[in-house]
Amino acid sequence: MWRLIQEIRQNRELIWALAIKELRVRYKRSALGFLWALLNPLLMMIILSMVFSTMMQAGIRSYPIFLISTLLPWTFFSQSVSYATDSIVGNGDLLKKIYVAKSVFPIAAVLSNLINFALSMVPLVLLLVIFRFPFHATWLYLAVPLLSLILFTLGCSFFFAMTNVFFRDMAHILQVVLSAWFYLCPIIYPLDFVPARYRAIFRLNPLVYPLNGFRLSIYYGLLPSAQSTVLSLAVGFGTLAIGYGLFRRYQDTLVFYV
Amino acid sequence: MNRVSFDNVVQHFRLIRERPDTLRETFARIFRNHSRYHSFDALKGVSFEVTDGEIVGLVGPNGSGKSTILKIIAGVYRPTAGVVRINGKVAGLIELGAGFHSDLTGRENILLNGLLLGLSKREIRSREQQILDFAELGEFIDSPVKQYSSGMFMRLGFAVATEVDPDILLIDEILAVGDASFQQKCMGRIDEFRQRRKTIILVSHDLTTVRRLCQRVLLIQNGRIRADGTPAEVLDSYEELHQPIGI
Repeated sequence: MWRLIQEIRQNRELIWALAIKELRVRYKRSALGFLWALLNPLLMMIILSMVFSTMMQAGIRSYPIFLISTLLPWTFFSQSVSYATDSIVGNGDLLKKIYVAKSVFPIAAVLSNLINFALSMVPLVLLLVIFRFPFHATWLYLAVPLLSLILFTLGCSFFFAMTNVFFRDMAHILQVVLSAWFYLCPIIYPLDFVPARYRAIFRLNPLVYPLNGFRLSIYYGLLPSAQSTVLSLAVGFGTLAIGYGLFRRYQDTLVFYV
Repeated sequence: MNRVSFDNVVQHFRLIRERPDTLRETFARIFRNHSRYHSFDALKGVSFEVTDGEIVGLVGPNGSGKSTILKIIAGVYRPTAGVVRINGKVAGLIELGAGFHSDLTGRENILLNGLLLGLSKREIRSREQQILDFAELGEFIDSPVKQYSSGMFMRLGFAVATEVDPDILLIDEILAVGDASFQQKCMGRIDEFRQRRKTIILVSHDLTTVRRLCQRVLLIQNGRIRADGTPAEVLDSYEELHQPIGI
């Protein structure tokens, strides 16, 4: 973990430039440009809330806000991992010609989506204003689920970026996993929607904790239990340690397979 | 001072065509219980040393391992066996504009490429003018590089890579590309490096260039060093070896 911090420090300018490049290229030559970062989650939210607010019998108050409070962090996670998975393979030509610390590519993929995530908080705030929804003091707590989500996302990103070099199937498998994972997370439904007897299994999903942390602080104005806070941070650090450890172990062989 | 030292370096490759690309193939391999890897050694025990200020040419037929040596020096490949010691900052002109992104402008690419090559943002800013002067892009500097002519692309790539101010400069065949004026400019830049007593290692099939620039030539064949000496000694025997049949 110490090594990772050092690598980030040494390459911080490069990582930043790569992340900005990623965003520039993503929005380049589209008429609305960076506005898409704001529009995209807003449109997704409108579609999903139209579909699910009618389907949900429970009648959740201010469903769009309920939804977007976890939809945004989920989008950050899934987009980061998707981008990171292609980051080593996609930069293969470069890696075969110049020596660069390999870790900068998955990190930059996560960073660019983190910037996107920050931008997408703007429509969330707008929505709260429009719906005259209170800003709870628990917003201050958001730093904790955010940190554990970033750690978890980085860990997964390292893992998929590395394995995709050896097995190109990973990119395809990931897409299937992500679409299933979306429904296994409390995004379109509340946690207590899950039948009691499945809840123990449901809690094995590591994303439940940070996502629920976001929803509790933004939507309910509550703090998660100390136990779930500790658990979500532990899962974040653990995933990063494993993901980065594996990445480091194989990073010198990557260049022969890209 | 030794800048580069190779001690019995072996570089092993798996033929990329034969690698298991998908899980299905991996399973097939596990169940059939035999390896489908075809492997070969690009370098079979190479030892040499290059000292400060030396200009060394690597010659040899295609596929003999010249570029592999450069890539090991550049840090792209980690050798399978043997010891490599590098002393100083390395810049590789292995492919010009390797890190360029076609949608970014020339100016944006200077920054990104410079960072990839290990410069800091401050260093790039302070050298930007020199890079622009060398590349002679004029108005095009703020257009995406995909609109560049290949000459402009190469000039920009060369300009950024040589601004790294390395102790060891690696050059792979790049002098063969570009028009006469580009080649002249490159030669000028390389002469500048030579006068500043930098170490240069270049791969070339253009024996005239090698004769002109190098004090020492290594002939590489089949992953081994066949000859090591002055251009006159090595190149004469190399040319004899490669006389086209029937002349």
